[in-house]
Amino acid sequence: MENDIIIQMKNIRKSFAGVPVLKGIDLTVKKSEVLAVIGPSGSGKSTLLRCLNNLETIDDGSIQVKGDYLVQSRQGRAVYADKDTQKKILGYMGMVFQQFNLFPHMTVLDNLLEAPVHVKNMKKAEVLPVAEELLRKISLFDKKDAYPSRLSGGQQQRVAIARALCMAPDIMLFDEPTSALDPELTIGVLNTMRQLAQEHMTMIVVTHEMGFAHDVANNVIFMADGGIVEQGDSQQFFGNPKEERTKLFLHSMLK
Amino acid sequence: MHNIANTFMLMLEGTQTTLQIFSITLILSIPLGLLISLARLSPLRLISRLVEIYIWIMRGTPLMLQLLFVYFALPMVGIKLSDLTAALFAFTLNYAAYFAEIFRAGIQSINRGQYEAAKTLGMSYPQTMQRIILPQVIRRVLPPISNETINLVKDTSLIYILAMNDLLRVARTIVQREFDMTPFVIAAVFYLVMTFVLTWLFKLLEAHYGKYEV
Ligand SMILES: Nc1ncnc2c1ncn2[C@@H]1O[C@H](COP(=O)(O)OP(=O)(O)OP(=O)(O)O)[C@@H](O)[C@H]1O
Ligand SMILES: [Mg+2]
Repeated sequence: MENDIIIQMKNIRKSFAGVPVLKGIDLTVKKSEVLAVIGPSGSGKSTLLRCLNNLETIDDGSIQVKGDYLVQSRQGRAVYADKDTQKKILGYMGMVFQQFNLFPHMTVLDNLLEAPVHVKNMKKAEVLPVAEELLRKISLFDKKDAYPSRLSGGQQQRVAIARALCMAPDIMLFDEPTSALDPELTIGVLNTMRQLAQEHMTMIVVTHEMGFAHDVANNVIFMADGGIVEQGDSQQFFGNPKEERTKLFLHSMLK
Repeated sequence: MHNIANTFMLMLEGTQTTLQIFSITLILSIPLGLLISLARLSPLRLISRLVEIYIWIMRGTPLMLQLLFVYFALPMVGIKLSDLTAALFAFTLNYAAYFAEIFRAGIQSINRGQYEAAKTLGMSYPQTMQRIILPQVIRRVLPPISNETINLVKDTSLIYILAMNDLLRVARTIVQREFDMTPFVIAAVFYLVMTFVLTWLFKLLEAHYGKYEV
């Protein structure tokens, strides 16, 4: 049971210029779990993901991924692991951004090959079949030699997902992956994510897509003002929310 | 008596000096400018402040003054440079400062998301700069670099004060001797040819580095 836990965040505290943005968040994610994080703008959802991924540093609390501590709390302060350990832990996670952030000067295929070849020092011939297989899976194999600027937003986001997957992460983090897309382009991206979930990828998804959270996520966390207001299994969460704030939020999202 | 072919040959020799100063300065000052821009963006405040002061001095005083300073002041403290070296020294330090500011603006114009994507893929800072940021910066800085490069062609004429026989000085010498304006016209044509070739080269470079844009 304990062994199933892949991410454990405890009492995460984070302030920006003295303003608390995360006010002691506890979060546990099990292997193969799909966790949706929802909540109003400014509630700290992105910051939570970015702390997990070391794009931001926390002030206090502890983060454990696959049993390794990225950061631990000692006497009320966050103490980070050494650089090598950090690097190892960050390698467990892939990240997908709202703005895709593909490398514009590289073709689609080179975007996928870049990190395996230059970070993991793998042979190009070794990664190529993996990358091509991923591109086939997202139905963009025929675009492998195109530059990102030639792709639609939805296609770019799928490439960004494939780029992260090409590093073979155990966990995928998504920060509003469809928010920058026109509604008709979100479907392809959501389908790709759905497929990942079916393949038992562990996923944390910050999203405004309530349908996706309801259908695909196992668990849902509702954040507001830097804290977790309510969490639970998604059927229960959407079927029978307990907190007044959750009800109001869900109601506003349905409109 | 007036020998146009002879004038032409003399001016070609002058052009050689001009091109020598131009090309060596360019080859040295672009990489140096890049290094200076990285130091300018360093999180270490002392380094970035020092570089800022350096850039301020180089851009805030006339290049002519800097040339004279290197030429006359350095020998006084026991550093003896040849005319050519002195000129190259001053030009390189001056142009590196301008290039540094161009690179800095270029680097800062790259979206933060590029650094974050590289970081989450496990790339180190040097890798990120070398493989992700700088290739994009090159595309963006080519137009201002092209401008500065064309300025440099014309600025090389400042070395006449160091008594070096560049294109313009040769032209002036002949004009004064022969009371004939033709050498000035020829010099103008030579400068125009050089800047034309450069403009064309930079267009090719822009097309090459811009192929990923829509
Ligand atoms: N780098 C930063 N510097 C200062 N304040 C920040 C920074 N990043 C986030 N904040 C602040 O922290 C709070 C939480 O931001 P965050 O981006 O985590 O919210 P969010 O829940 O992701 O919102 P959204 O749904 O709009 O993306 C906001 O008030 C935001 O202004
Ligand atoms: Mg956000």
